[in-house]
Amino acid sequence: MTETGVLLQQVINGLSLGAMYSLLALGFTLVYGILELINFAHFNVFMVSSFIGMWALELLGISGQSHVLTGFALAGALAFAFAVTMLAAGGLGVAIERISLRPLRGVRGPAAMITTIGVSYILFNVILLTVGAESQNYPNPMPVVRWQFGQVTLELREVLIWGVTAILMVGLHLFVSRTRLGKAMRATAQDAEAARMMGVEVDRVILTAFFLGSALAGAAALIFGLYYNFTSFIIGYTAGLRAFTAAVLGGIGNVGGAMVGGILIGLIESLGGQLIAVRWTDVIIFSILILVLVFAPNGLFGRAAPNKS
Amino acid sequence: MLSRRLLLISLSTTALVGTLGLRSRLGLAADKTVKIGINLPFTGADAHDAELIKDGAMLAIDNANAKGGIAGYKLDVMQLDDGTATAGQYDPAQAATNARKMVSDDAVVAAIGPQMSGSGKAMAPILSQGDLATITPSSTNPDITDPKFAAQYMPGGKAIYFRTVTTDAFQGPNMANYFADTLKVKSVYVLDDSGAYGVGLADAFQAQAKKRGINVLGRDRLDPKEADYTTTLTKMKSLSPDALYYGGVGQAGVKLVKQSYDIVPTIIKSGGDGVYGAEILTGAGFPAAQGWYATIAAPNVLENPDAAPFIEQFAKKYGKQPDNYSITAYDAALVILAAIQSVAASGKDVTRGAVRDAIQSSHVKTLQGTVSFDANGDIENRIVSVFQITRNDKYPLDDVLHQYKYMGVAPASS
Repeated sequence: MTETGVLLQQVINGLSLGAMYSLLALGFTLVYGILELINFAHFNVFMVSSFIGMWALELLGISGQSHVLTGFALAGALAFAFAVTMLAAGGLGVAIERISLRPLRGVRGPAAMITTIGVSYILFNVILLTVGAESQNYPNPMPVVRWQFGQVTLELREVLIWGVTAILMVGLHLFVSRTRLGKAMRATAQDAEAARMMGVEVDRVILTAFFLGSALAGAAALIFGLYYNFTSFIIGYTAGLRAFTAAVLGGIGNVGGAMVGGILIGLIESLGGQLIAVRWTDVIIFSILILVLVFAPNGLFGRAAPNKS
Repeated sequence: MLSRRLLLISLSTTALVGTLGLRSRLGLAADKTVKIGINLPFTGADAHDAELIKDGAMLAIDNANAKGGIAGYKLDVMQLDDGTATAGQYDPAQAATNARKMVSDDAVVAAIGPQMSGSGKAMAPILSQGDLATITPSSTNPDITDPKFAAQYMPGGKAIYFRTVTTDAFQGPNMANYFADTLKVKSVYVLDDSGAYGVGLADAFQAQAKKRGINVLGRDRLDPKEADYTTTLTKMKSLSPDALYYGGVGQAGVKLVKQSYDIVPTIIKSGGDGVYGAEILTGAGFPAAQGWYATIAAPNVLENPDAAPFIEQFAKKYGKQPDNYSITAYDAALVILAAIQSVAASGKDVTRGAVRDAIQSSHVKTLQGTVSFDANGDIENRIVSVFQITRNDKYPLDDVLHQYKYMGVAPASS
């Protein structure tokens, strides 16, 4: 392979990684935009969702990578798996908000954030103690289809990742910009007090943010499983940390920023690994983050929510 | 008032604990019980293989107890887990805590474990100061028993870290010889999983590979908690190596096996005993795992007719097949039992110091042949066996015995 061929291949790898980080970063950003809360439970909502997706596929009788489907059967199976995973993940997010965070509303200081860390550990241990610690072989009905462009290989699953991510992002954008609830979300993000006075049901808006963020994490989790063909109780940590970094890099609270931040982190990871060395990945990512924050403290695209002083 | 009551309670508690302690010590003398510590990572990625090791050791201990114990001593087991949820695999910090726990219980006269060298490095200094011998059935990092590092791992002065497997000083280089002689590999890319075992094994392999004229095209490190190795593998693919060698255990190994099947499906892929185990078979699955080479730092006893009764009893008792490290664990237990026997026979008290000395001078007939140790605690028999993962549909996926095909002994360096 030539130098350019390798770099192009790494760009493809990076875009796939980045798409996952973007979807996951949106969950951090949506909740932060409205509550100014960093939701650490999101790490493991992602992890739990990957298991939900696995069980959904197993429910269809798919196991391992040998049950290959094509055509409508494949589309149906994937649609089912995405629907189940996203709804269940969204439900999990709503339950976390309703049970553990709403009672703390109005409590100043880090109580809510610490609670999300606690919830994260509970999810982590529930999976560890019920499913066990072994890596799970992920059911995957997708045929291995590869297209060769010169020296660069593109796979069906990569196209699927990009396609699903693009659809979800456009959908989220339309929701936030065109619907009443989306408008209410933006209003709450700008000034919760004023929005409440104008008749916006803030609690409903918050639940919506949790539902959407977690459902997107669900989509990211299923994509993760289908891309890597494995899941384990431990996957939330690295992916969550990178996605959170992506949200901060793009400007936390800024929906567009989270999308771009995710893609950037993915590209930095793959190209940094290629040009320097993979073992330096985290050092590279966080050095860039620190540099960006030094010169642009609100991230590349600024925080969407103005200071609520 | 309150404080006085508290004082009273604490005083009486102390008294109670004191009596209990005394009573248990008296009881010990009467019942004649000794304890054997077992420390393995039952939580995390290697739990399945840890269970196989424990089962092997327990078979020997249970058999001895069924015959009325050893020289009148009933054998008790102190089972400890050095795997933690946060690490997702073995955790050296937990291993150190466990070593302290074993050392602080006088009834523990010897131990079996750990499975992993990373834990071994944390435990050895503590065990050495407590003069408590442990026999590892699987940890192969050579540093722990290397006299060069005696100040670090053997501060007590005597060997306490014994092995019923040989070390990576042989496992890595012998596989490099196999690469050169049998597989005719001309170029290789080397990866490790950043653990003590993985880095050491990859280093030892790499040094011998270079010596044998194999072109080492690159070396990188995989983070076991990371999910994505496509960057590393794409980089490797661009260099077109003949082969990939991986030093490391299952947590990173499963993902490497899966993703390397997608990106570099045709090259020769190999690891050490970290890719010998059920985790690789079930986690990575087929076809991804098909064709991977693995080694173990012990002879392949499972196909030896002498092992047949052991395998039969093992399968009957636990409802599953043993792997070769079940055998080295069984052998480790036999060595400890023989040591207790010989101490008791000589009329001395069965103390950990006496048991250590007896282990040091062992010549015990085991499944893998007569086990004896050099002055550092390493086994004198230095055989590295090569396997290749070859799917056998007639047996369950996690059946190590039938899914790893024995290829022969890796040639020793001259």
